Amino acid sequence: MTATGAIPATAPTGPSGAAQRHRVALHGVTHVYAGRGGDVLALDHVDLVIEPGEFVSVVGPSGCGKSTLLGLIAGFHRPTRGRVTLGDEEIRGPGPDRGVVFQQPNLYPWMSVRENVALGPRLRHVRRAQRRAIADRLLALVGLAEFADHATYELSGGMQQRCQIARALANDPEILLMDEPFGALDALTRERMQDELLTIWRDAGQTVLFITHSVEEALYLGTRVLVMSPRPGRIVLDQPVPFPPHERDRALREHPEFVALRARIGRELGLA
Amino acid sequence: MVEITGNAPVPVPATRARRRLRLPDGAALRVALRLLSLAVVVAIWWIVAALDVWPDLFVPSPADVWDRFVESVTVHDGRVGLSDAYLWEHLGASLWRIGNGLFFAILFGVPLGLLLATVRPFQVIAEPYVNFVRALPPLAYFSLLIIWFGIEDTSKIWLLFLASFPPIALSVVSGVRGIPQTRLDAARALGAGRLQLLRHVVVPSVLPEFFTGLRLAIGFAWTTIVAAETVDGLPGIGGLAWSTKKFQQTDVAVLCIIVIGLAAILLDQLVKAVERLVVPWRGRA
Ligand SMILES: Nc1ncnc2c1ncn2[C@@H]1O[C@H](COP(=O)(O)OP(=O)(O)O)[C@@H](O)[C@H]1O
Ligand SMILES: [Mg+2]
Repeated sequence: MTATGAIPATAPTGPSGAAQRHRVALHGVTHVYAGRGGDVLALDHVDLVIEPGEFVSVVGPSGCGKSTLLGLIAGFHRPTRGRVTLGDEEIRGPGPDRGVVFQQPNLYPWMSVRENVALGPRLRHVRRAQRRAIADRLLALVGLAEFADHATYELSGGMQQRCQIARALANDPEILLMDEPFGALDALTRERMQDELLTIWRDAGQTVLFITHSVEEALYLGTRVLVMSPRPGRIVLDQPVPFPPHERDRALREHPEFVALRARIGRELGLA
Repeated sequence: MVEITGNAPVPVPATRARRRLRLPDGAALRVALRLLSLAVVVAIWWIVAALDVWPDLFVPSPADVWDRFVESVTVHDGRVGLSDAYLWEHLGASLWRIGNGLFFAILFGVPLGLLLATVRPFQVIAEPYVNFVRALPPLAYFSLLIIWFGIEDTSKIWLLFLASFPPIALSVVSGVRGIPQTRLDAARALGAGRLQLLRHVVVPSVLPEFFTGLRLAIGFAWTTIVAAETVDGLPGIGGLAWSTKKFQQTDVAVLCIIVIGLAAILLDQLVKAVERLVVPWRGRA
């Protein structure tokens, strides 16, 4: 499967200039968890190519292997069979070239908001002044500039997720892997965060893999929506989303084509 | 005795904050209630002693205990304090031993706990021994320690060390095991290597549990100090308490009980204050 999704209208440029981006690919990936109650086949022969600059949404019933897919690209697990690659390199473990945003706010409470964002550069031994500059720029990008010196537990749920996004972006990763990042937020905050994420994606130019259980969210954000079958997870639909990124606003959700696509994906999921 | 049960794992900050908001009457009421209950307890004690139901030897009166207290901090009949040392010297000697024992317990217990929790083969081999030492009553091995290290402070500090390192090590183990996988994954995805993970995520994550273990360890140290000071324990508050049995000075024994109790509570409060300073996020994140 190659990218059939719409390429963003504005050419993606990384925050540090024109960073070289590589495609992410899964080649015949099968993943089995060895559990106490027997083995669990989580992913079954998945082939997937994500081109640089794409925003790929993934929807599927709970337990179908979405997080497993993300974890394989992040390098948290190695596939039982098949290969996961970034460019020409096989992924063998987690690394700063792939940023992860988790569903649960996952900030470190012993660090300030700024220190959390600066952690990636710090782990790579970036000099103090420079990593502070990186953190402050990203905090401004996600609208948290005034909260840089706050404790993480003083932030609301939505702000914590913004901080997580900033932290993942601080390494200027090739791809941002987001596992239901807005799943725990209230509807209003969620919609605002979706718009902010689109802005960030247009500005920062990261490739994004975005897991959600909301078809509407998947369509609103993605240049491409993958639908997965119940476990063992397979990709049963690879749907390009034709709307240009800059036309994604509230009105889009009522657009006939949007509604039609939503129905189509819903049918595929067995919802309709 | 140290109030270790007060350290239930759910210090709900919301209610604490709310209580603090209506602090004026609430706090004043609490202090007043506590003073009142103290007055009642002392009054009952006074009355029971004054009624002479039991001989003075069984129930020394508050006045006797007060007199011993005054003696313990003064020179009287040409003699210094009680058993040739002022009360604070007795207490100081015990605190010195406890402090040393805890120092080595932390120095040894924390790395041991980290190793137990992170190096699987090490845990398989070493954990039974830690549990074995923890299960032993300290007095069981005290005579061995005296033979190995003599009757002076070294053997006492060893005893306190052995009594207090297991809770520290085991609390660190449970702290490490309790770290959610995603918390580790987040740092690994940011590029953390093994040692960076230890330093930036594991150690800070373990701090709350460490303090729980430390307070438990201090509790064990206090229970052990009297045992440690049964042999050549003067000056020492436990040694002083133990020495009263020879001349049946129950008033001195009661004085020691009160001093040990108060010192234990104060030390526990001090550790709690340090914990609030070092782990401000406890119960909030
Ligand atoms: N560490 C694990 N050990 C055993 N089974 C697991 C583990 N993680 C996930 N699974 C199982 O694998 C399947 C897919 O899980 P996951 O990828 O988390 O699904 P999703 O994110 O789509 O809800 C589920 O049935 C889940 O129970
Ligand atoms: Mg999941």
